[in-house]
Amino acid sequence: MLVLGVVLVLVGIALFFGFIREPVYTAEARVSVRPQEELDGEEARFAFLEQVRGAVVTKKMLSEVRRRAGWEASPKAFSERLDPRPVVNTGSGPGLQIRFSANEPGQAARAANAYAELFVRGIENLDGRPPADGAPVAQAAVAQRAVPGSYSPRPLIYAAIAAGAGLLVGGAAALILEGRASGWRGVRDAELTLRVPVLGTIPDYSPKKTEG
Amino acid sequence: MLDPASPVRGNYEELAANLLKLERTASVVVTSPDPGAGRTSVCLGLGAALAGMGRRAAVVDCNLENAQLHRVLGEPNFVGLTSGFDDGKTLEHYGHEIIPGLLVVPTGPVLLDPASLLEDEGVKKAVRGLRKSRDLVLLDAPVAGRVLRSPNLLGGFDGVLLVVHASRTPKSVARETADDLLEAGVNLLGVVLNGCS
Repeated sequence: MLVLGVVLVLVGIALFFGFIREPVYTAEARVSVRPQEELDGEEARFAFLEQVRGAVVTKKMLSEVRRRAGWEASPKAFSERLDPRPVVNTGSGPGLQIRFSANEPGQAARAANAYAELFVRGIENLDGRPPADGAPVAQAAVAQRAVPGSYSPRPLIYAAIAAGAGLLVGGAAALILEGRASGWRGVRDAELTLRVPVLGTIPDYSPKKTEG
Repeated sequence: MLDPASPVRGNYEELAANLLKLERTASVVVTSPDPGAGRTSVCLGLGAALAGMGRRAAVVDCNLENAQLHRVLGEPNFVGLTSGFDDGKTLEHYGHEIIPGLLVVPTGPVLLDPASLLEDEGVKKAVRGLRKSRDLVLLDAPVAGRVLRSPNLLGGFDGVLLVVHASRTPKSVARETADDLLEAGVNLLGVVLNGCS
């Protein structure tokens, strides 16, 4: 009962806080970026992508991304939900993986796609010039457009974690209380606890039983 | 508990019968995980039941630090176990039968350090002498922690009976005590669950 109670309380708290929070949808787009000359090693490709990103991503570009996504909150909140990552080991060659989390699935996809499109356009505007002292870009394209993202079932995940934690906490509490308990439920309880046979039970009847 | 009409007599008779079924139970150390479990009561009730079943039994108070047997019976403690250490007489001379077949022997005067007295070879000799005239000798011993520190009580007799009080003895303490006794190589005969509701 104790274990069940703790599990129910923790799951209830997790579900309550999970559902009162706004849902989160995540959308993902991909951009492939090929250098004019083949680069050896992951490190070189990674550095190339960072150089390209440094040359292309500007405040102006991000402002346009926000406009296209219909973002009304602060630029800081937008940046917190935007997650562009260089990827070097994909089948389509090096590129950028753009993830955006929003409270609406459509807005998440719009933001990720706007970033991908403007990123490609920024590379095209370089006209083959190398970014900083890096290798020039041969080709850039949107490899995968974002579709309205699926719902992230965080309340359910939290509830599952809470159930696990409840089992652990409740189980530990039950063990501790059982160990401290001075009430014996009978012969079977005593034999299981002590692993020694009970030869007899004496009922509590005497008014004077304080000796020895 | 000495009265044959006592409501718990049947329980003590059942305990006595179970104890007699075991092998080597001529001298049994009765202890408990902590004070207040009712060791003395169990010794007297069990002794009375054995006597009622036609056995000759004895209860010897070995709790030299906190003698209880004479107090429970409301008797003096002028002579007893310690009196029989040196003079060669058996404990039959230093106790008396409170009911036919049940001899009770209090501690007697404890003038020296009780711990060292308990380790005196005289304790074993005295109980051994009593076994010639008694079918079963119950030693009303101190708490298990003290028994565990006493080679005489741990290994000098046939076995140990552990008294656990149903509402006063914490389970964890009882479990630890049983484990300690078994680890010490004691012949733990069994448990008496005292004070059941």
